[in-house]
Amino acid sequence: MATDIAATPPPPDPGGGATTARDDGARVPPLRRIWSNYVFVKVRKAFVVVFVVANVTFFLGRAMPGDPVDVMAGRLTQGGMSMDEARAVAINSLAYDPDAPLWSQWWEFISGLATLDMGNTINRPGQTVAEAIGAYLPWTLFSIGVGTLVAIVLGLALGMVMAYWRNRVLDHVLSVVASVLGAVPNYLIAMLLVTGGGMYLGWFDPIDLRGTLSPGVEPGLTAEFVGDALYHAALPIVTYVLAIIGTWMLVMKASTTEVLGEDYVTVARARGLRDRRIAFSYVGRNAVLPLVAQIAISFGTLVGGAIFVEQVLVYKGVGGLLLDAVNYRDYPLLQGLLVIITTCVVLANLVADLLYSRLDPRIRT
Amino acid sequence: MTPTPPAPAADGPLLSVRGVDVGYRTGRRTRLTAVHDASFDLYPGQSMALVGESGCGKTTLGLGLLRLLPRTGTVSAGQILFRRKSGDQVDVRTLAKEDLRRFRWNEAAMVFQGAMNAFNPVLRMEEHFLDTFRAHERRTRRPRAEILEESAELLEMVRLDPARVLPSHPHELSGGMRQRALIALALALRPQLLILDEPTTALDVLTQRSVVEQLTELRERLRFSMVFITHDLGLAAELADRVGTMYAGRLIETGTTRDLFHRARHPYTSALIGSVPPVAGDRHVPEPLPGGPPGLNALPPGCSFEPRCPRATEECTATRPELRVLHPRDEGLSHAAACLHADGAELPTRGGHP
Repeated sequence: MATDIAATPPPPDPGGGATTARDDGARVPPLRRIWSNYVFVKVRKAFVVVFVVANVTFFLGRAMPGDPVDVMAGRLTQGGMSMDEARAVAINSLAYDPDAPLWSQWWEFISGLATLDMGNTINRPGQTVAEAIGAYLPWTLFSIGVGTLVAIVLGLALGMVMAYWRNRVLDHVLSVVASVLGAVPNYLIAMLLVTGGGMYLGWFDPIDLRGTLSPGVEPGLTAEFVGDALYHAALPIVTYVLAIIGTWMLVMKASTTEVLGEDYVTVARARGLRDRRIAFSYVGRNAVLPLVAQIAISFGTLVGGAIFVEQVLVYKGVGGLLLDAVNYRDYPLLQGLLVIITTCVVLANLVADLLYSRLDPRIRT
Repeated sequence: MTPTPPAPAADGPLLSVRGVDVGYRTGRRTRLTAVHDASFDLYPGQSMALVGESGCGKTTLGLGLLRLLPRTGTVSAGQILFRRKSGDQVDVRTLAKEDLRRFRWNEAAMVFQGAMNAFNPVLRMEEHFLDTFRAHERRTRRPRAEILEESAELLEMVRLDPARVLPSHPHELSGGMRQRALIALALALRPQLLILDEPTTALDVLTQRSVVEQLTELRERLRFSMVFITHDLGLAAELADRVGTMYAGRLIETGTTRDLFHRARHPYTSALIGSVPPVAGDRHVPEPLPGGPPGLNALPPGCSFEPRCPRATEECTATRPELRVLHPRDEGLSHAAACLHADGAELPTRGGHP
């Protein structure tokens, strides 16, 4: 009896590997298939998130006391103008009609968004919201992007080192450093950098580092421009790296430690694979998988924190613009900024999701 | 690569384990010895089963032979002498890092207990084969196609369809398929020794059978030696020429399969065999052995089995019995037991199983 069983070919896997799944897919009508496609589902959800956030920002902005006219009139009365006069001047100089009903403002905003038109700013005459954002956002995305990238690469590497050397001196030292860095708010790190590194130790001139570009440097794909941009972004980037690297180190250590206990790592050692091959393809790759989703979270946290950091370091990014928009009740600018920032974070999430499904064959559909 | 059967047995044992202790670090200054003074010789072509309750040190010993213990574990005493394909005898304990890497899988491979997770989930099966071959081929970098062809032959040996298995990821294969794929991978470099740790435990009965059949067949064909770690006495009886019983970290009885199943001299072996109900025939109720093995950190000074032993005497509480040869034979097949009363009357094993 036993020989019979052994002689029969292996039974087909009832769980149905990739092939079976594809066969089923062929029978579904094409439109349904696109609709339920993994990427499309994610994109659909991203749109819903952006739409909801757009509405929230619209109403939250208007829930703040006072409108743009009130704010400007308030300033003018301090110069000795009477309230009525000040209001008249404000209404004249601002592109905002305080008597327009809420629903028409809402419709203008939402319909504008659908055609990718975010309207004009209220406080910056002649400048559209898109132009204002376009002038500031790239710097923020650049500094945060580079910071996130450096922090993740370094954090993953150090986390792996900590896991491989766990319970040794190096691990203990790095754990303390990581915990401290994770606990300090990013704007404090920025202040410490300026006062400590710039003023006490004199490593750099914090005044010279202000702004996004040195005067006279023209944007373009030149070594001078890239170098100068990096020079001015150095402090924000270092701040962002220090702010999030601790978390990445600790999370990667935990993840790597777990993977090191997996059977396939022991089997890989038994198979006589070289240490480097095991560390990268067997340990590293599997340890990073559960962390991919956190890339987007890191990015989102940083965009929020950028407002403070950019103020402290006098970096001309989107943070100062957002603060202005709030202070002057520049509704269209505020809405535009928040929608764009949300879109960036949602996009980062989307990329992380898609990346994850690329990296982990078990998620692929 | 043509299968080259190991050199004839005349040269002596393939594996000679002498007085091996394996321990784990449990704290800053505390250690726990999980295997005490293990000694046995394994001759080319032999298949030896290690049996015993959970936690008695079987897996630790198996891992120790290849120095694959987790970070806290070390082989702390003794010698693990292995005769390499080249004919040189080496002590696995003293192999340098790179030497040890080349030794593993090429000379001795291991099929693990959790074969479910033996493969890297993000790599295709073909990449596991490529990785394995490439790690052991020095200068010449063979073309991918050539290695895959050889891998396909290996998979056919265990009756798997290479066209289905090689391009798949591990999660797309069933447990039985993965287990057989691991056996195929283990034989890739024609090792002289295959260590199998509970190779069939997680499989359903039918798959277990086919794995056992294939192992028997492969062993006849490729003539590798086996060390076989198992709870399953039936499996031991079927696949092994000889059996070693372990209890509380010590080998307490070794001998041929026939010796242990029909003429057990250690009361623990006898109880272990007695606890398995026979599949057919006299359906007596199996008697479970009362109590459990002693904690490894609190071993009694005498015989570690004494607290549970039906024939323990005063002497047993004070003197620890050494493994004593009762019936000498060549090629490591002597019947030996570590019991002060081993010379007494034969123990009831309710013979006949299997």
